[in-house]
Amino acid sequence: MQTFYTDMLCIGGGLAGERVAIEAASAGFDCIILSLVPPRRSHSCAAQGGMQAALGNCAMGEGDSPDVHFEDTVKGSDWGCDQEVARLFVDTAPIVMRELAFWGVPWNRVVPGPAVYFKGGQKFEVYEKEEKAGLITARAFGGTAKWRTCYTSDGTGHSVLYTMDCKALEVGVEVHDRVEALSLIHDGENCLGVVARCLRTGELRVYFAKTVLIATGGYGRIYKHTTNAVINQGTGLILALDTGIVPLGNMEAVQFHPTGIVPTDILVTEGCRGDGGTLLDKNEYRFMPDYEPEKAELASRDVVSRRMTEHIRKGFGVKSPYGEHLWLDIRHLGEKHITTKLREVYDICMNFLGINPIHELIPVRPTQHYSMGGVRTNKDGAAYGLKGLFAAGEAACWDLHGFNRLGGNSLAETVVAGKIVGEKIVEFLKGYEVNIKTSYATAEVKKQKERIEKLKNSSGGENVYKLRNEMQEIMMEKVGIFRNEKDLQEAVDSLRTLLDRSKKLSLASNGIGANPELAEALRLPGMIKVALCIAYGALQRKESRGAHYREDYPYRNDKEWLKRTLATWKQGDDLPTLEYEPASKVFHLPPGDRGYGEGKVIPSDEDEKSGDNK
Amino acid sequence: MSVDTTVESFKGHRLAGWLDWLQMLTGLTLVCFLFAHMLFVGSVLLGAKSFDFVAAFFERTYLAQVGGPILFFLFLLHGFLGARKMPFRTKEQKLIVRHAKMMHHRDTWFWVIQAITGAILLVIASIHMWTVLSDLPITAAKGAHELETGLWLIFYLLLIIVGALHGCIGLYRIGVKWGVVTRAKRTKALKCIYYLIGVYVVVELLNLLRFYFLKV
Amino acid sequence: MSRTLHFEIFRYNPMDPDSKPHMQTYYLEEKDNMTLFLALNEIRETQDPSLQFDFVCRAAVCGSCAMVINGRPGLACKTKTKDLPDKIVLHPLPVFKLIGDLSVDTGTWFRGVAKKIEAWVHTTKTFDPNALEERMDNDLANEIFELDRCIECGCCIAACGTARMREDFLGAATINKIARFYIDPRDERTDEEYFEVIGTDEGVFGCMGLLGCEDVCPKQIPLQDQLGIMRRKMAIASLGGKVGKLFSVFSKKKK
Ligand SMILES: Cc1cc2nc3c(=O)[nH]c(=O)nc-3n(C[C@H](O)[C@H](O)[C@H](O)COP(=O)(O)OP(=O)(O)OC[C@H]3O[C@@H](n4cnc5c(N)ncnc54)[C@H](O)[C@@H]3O)c2cc1C
Ligand code: HEM
Ligand code: HEM
Ligand code: SF4
Ligand code: F3S
Ligand code: FES
Repeated sequence: MQTFYTDMLCIGGGLAGERVAIEAASAGFDCIILSLVPPRRSHSCAAQGGMQAALGNCAMGEGDSPDVHFEDTVKGSDWGCDQEVARLFVDTAPIVMRELAFWGVPWNRVVPGPAVYFKGGQKFEVYEKEEKAGLITARAFGGTAKWRTCYTSDGTGHSVLYTMDCKALEVGVEVHDRVEALSLIHDGENCLGVVARCLRTGELRVYFAKTVLIATGGYGRIYKHTTNAVINQGTGLILALDTGIVPLGNMEAVQFHPTGIVPTDILVTEGCRGDGGTLLDKNEYRFMPDYEPEKAELASRDVVSRRMTEHIRKGFGVKSPYGEHLWLDIRHLGEKHITTKLREVYDICMNFLGINPIHELIPVRPTQHYSMGGVRTNKDGAAYGLKGLFAAGEAACWDLHGFNRLGGNSLAETVVAGKIVGEKIVEFLKGYEVNIKTSYATAEVKKQKERIEKLKNSSGGENVYKLRNEMQEIMMEKVGIFRNEKDLQEAVDSLRTLLDRSKKLSLASNGIGANPELAEALRLPGMIKVALCIAYGALQRKESRGAHYREDYPYRNDKEWLKRTLATWKQGDDLPTLEYEPASKVFHLPPGDRGYGEGKVIPSDEDEKSGDNK
Repeated sequence: MSVDTTVESFKGHRLAGWLDWLQMLTGLTLVCFLFAHMLFVGSVLLGAKSFDFVAAFFERTYLAQVGGPILFFLFLLHGFLGARKMPFRTKEQKLIVRHAKMMHHRDTWFWVIQAITGAILLVIASIHMWTVLSDLPITAAKGAHELETGLWLIFYLLLIIVGALHGCIGLYRIGVKWGVVTRAKRTKALKCIYYLIGVYVVVELLNLLRFYFLKV
Repeated sequence: MSRTLHFEIFRYNPMDPDSKPHMQTYYLEEKDNMTLFLALNEIRETQDPSLQFDFVCRAAVCGSCAMVINGRPGLACKTKTKDLPDKIVLHPLPVFKLIGDLSVDTGTWFRGVAKKIEAWVHTTKTFDPNALEERMDNDLANEIFELDRCIECGCCIAACGTARMREDFLGAATINKIARFYIDPRDERTDEEYFEVIGTDEGVFGCMGLLGCEDVCPKQIPLQDQLGIMRRKMAIASLGGKVGKLFSVFSKKKK
């Protein structure tokens, strides 16, 4: 068996993983990145919008500062975030944006003189200042007081990821792509490395490392409809969960986006609605004003998603072979607007649907989009429970986003966290030695080998794709946008049955080499566990906060629930063990009203005493 | 492609660049010559006398005696340079043809045509130049006489077609390779090239027929 | 509209001693708005779970899913079945190492060439976290982005007859990548240094102008134009000395 030794092992070659790796490699440490796909194909490349940093260069960003960014972020999180982390984040974001510019990202820049922008289909004019000419500019994003989203046309994630990978190449980061980490090697106290499977040959490998970083991105594929890439299956979270020690934080916090297209669930931007697009039902009736007379289609992401789901449930959805959906109508914006300001939407419709949005309606439905939860870490990125284990990016619950992340904050988080966690890892590595206890590796390898053999030879009769689809359906139907006791309980029960059935998985093919069915079968039980963490966490959290919306508990309850869920999975159990910790050690910004959304708040005791809530 | 090749192996000489210049310039010269040659031979359309006059002019000024061999040399040089790009192994030849078929792709076929016509030209244009240059002076009568044998007629027919294709496609491809024919100009350039081929073939055919029916 | 699609798919698993390269037939009912991404996944889930292919983003942004579709390299996720005839023939991309069935190793290839051309910004400066960013003209930023858009799908390599005949040819995407750094003022490399990297028969001078690259690129990267520009610049650099200087009037570098 191939065995590798390294100072730092990065599981995941997305933006977060690569940024950390660059930090470690620049400090002279050996560094290997494992990735399911070549790093540049990681899902970070799909982010089009941009990343937030309070540079305040453009006219609409004037007066912006980390303080304003901080406030937006905490409000956005519905006070679920760790405010120390949020502070660290907003202060570092401008620096990393400049660093990225230094490394080669072709950020769009300020062009002095008059400029026009569109909002609600209307045209506005602003003046860009001469003294800011050529500095990094920004665009608008939902939930922000200022324009602060830095971007490169419609390919921010792509540009930043490519630049990052170039940098990684320069500083000598080693990349092992098409390798999947299957489980962590640990002694109950220290993380020692991972057992991985080569996706080219199907062979197992051992990686010994002084530090391991989980930067495996989101888990959207646990849901039936998601904007996430097909590799976003949450396998990184399974690594942590399977240790039985390392907790996942706030797994019930899942973000949905109102407009994923049907059938491929590709995201079309919020800009459609921002510029005046409307949502129609099967009778081509505009229904949003009935629910939200004031804001209609322009209410926040979670609100619009909820209303759409509600309307479909009332029987107004359009039926299709791929399930029910609604229509997005941008026809009235006109050809010129659609092919210039909304070009990317136009391209997606033409390329993937063969629909011309200038003349036709776009089929859309609310779609899973982002996972706020993940491997719980402290503000240094160190995972709870195991020494030498770190996490960053979407896979981590560093907890910048709390119960709702702001658009543009996640891409920025990957790089900011990457820098900070990278520095902490370097600190950790200096002078750190571990004894490599091969026995733990041998045991882990044996376990994985047995799993593979069992799958290849099993006659249990359960089909992996069938089970996976069932899980995805349960999550979509019952642990989706609207949540309630009954649905969640049913979901937990069905998922437990699925977990049990997953022990009887057997392959229909021979499982030789890079067999995709075997790879899927190895992941599925873990994915169901992750799903259970979400469903069970949601069942227990009896309040509505950010993206977590309970029909039976529609208020945000700061009195009882201003806290973070921590889920661990004890060996042999069929449910996670839940514990709680305070949402934040410090509250620079005390809990209050977000200023948008329909939420009512039950204030916490302290707030009542000090009387500073509204 | 091996991954761990270091940058060292790339530290090059400037030869590749020079050879590319040479290939382009020799090709260009040959095409220019070909069109000049078309006009020169075209003088026969006005009658044997005018042809002989032009021919005599070239010989009097030693353009034929000196220019001919130089051109022949350029021709060989160009053939040699072109050969560097041509597939010699059967495996490669099959591969490129299979590739062109798979792709159904015009410009790839162009290159296949370029390579094949180049190879043919090497043989037949050499023969042609040899016959003409080794038997100076050039006169209309000789040309007409030569054509009386049907085989030469076919030979020239082939030379016309092959030369037209190789020269004109070559011209287009120089444009593409050196960035003169840009994405925006491509359709237009192609149209020009088709016309050029047409004009060349028609004029040369007329010349040939004129020779064929020339009574001297 | 419902058609039955007839798929002919290349099959070979190099890890399986019993597997021989062959074409396998599948039939599938077409649905509205079906793409090859949906079709192939349906085949895998309902007919043949061993079928290997690569999708990641399924939105034409990651470059994973390139394959030869009825003779032409293209992105499978972006290909709608309604634009194809009843019979759909799928092959893996040539040139790249086959992993199995429709899956090839483009990642290793691209990383290899990126290393060769040192595809990163070469600078002698160090980053100052307290300083403002260096200013850049927005038009130039857009120009760089235009070339930076390549998703390394490998279509242009697979469509290039030269790359198929000559294993060491760097390919259009790579030359385009160099062009990206060439116009970037942050990269301090000189013409001579660039020449050493691509002024060879494996680099710009190897390109024979076949334009397969240009015609298949799913991102419409201006490959034809960039290949021309880089050939000109490198050819002028190859002249060196006085002659080169004379010509360099025609090849101003934005620096
Ligand atoms: C359609 C879409 C648009 C978005 N737009 C924006 C936006 O405009 N602005 C914004 O801020 N955010 C946006 N986001 C969110 C943002 O893109 C992600 O949160 C972010 O890119 C995550 O980066 P990451 O490095 O954590 O993970 P990823 O980029 O997902 O990388 C994960 C890596 O882990 C590897 N991996 C996973 N499992 C394993 C395993 N078991 N073994 C080995 N390797 C493994 C993968 O191969 C991959 O390399 C968007 C998200 C989506 C889905
Ligand atoms: C030094 C070089 C050359 C000289 C002096 C020359 C001269 C001539 C002459 C005198 C003729 C008239 C017919 C004859 O007398 O046989 C002729 C015909 C022809 N030549 Fe050439 N030639 C030269 C090179 C070439 C080359 C390189 C090509 C091809 C690519 C070519 C293509 C033809 C063709 C196609 C004809 C017949 C058509 C016609 O009659 O116009 N010649 N050439
Ligand atoms: C000895 C016979 C010849 C051979 C073997 C030959 C071969 C070739 C080949 C293989 C190429 C393609 C090279 C490439 O694209 O990289 C080429 C290009 C070209 N040839 Fe020829 N050729 C011959 C004669 C001629 C003649 C007689 C002409 C004049 C009409 C000519 C004009 C051109 C032109 C203009 C090009 C394009 C140049 C370039 O691509 O840089 N060739 N030749
Ligand atoms: S240049 Fe175009 S075809 Fe080539 S790899 Fe890039 S995106 Fe693909
Ligand atoms: S197809 Fe190949 S030969 Fe050049 S023009 Fe494109 S790289
Ligand atoms: S799957 Fe990403 S480009 Fe097709």
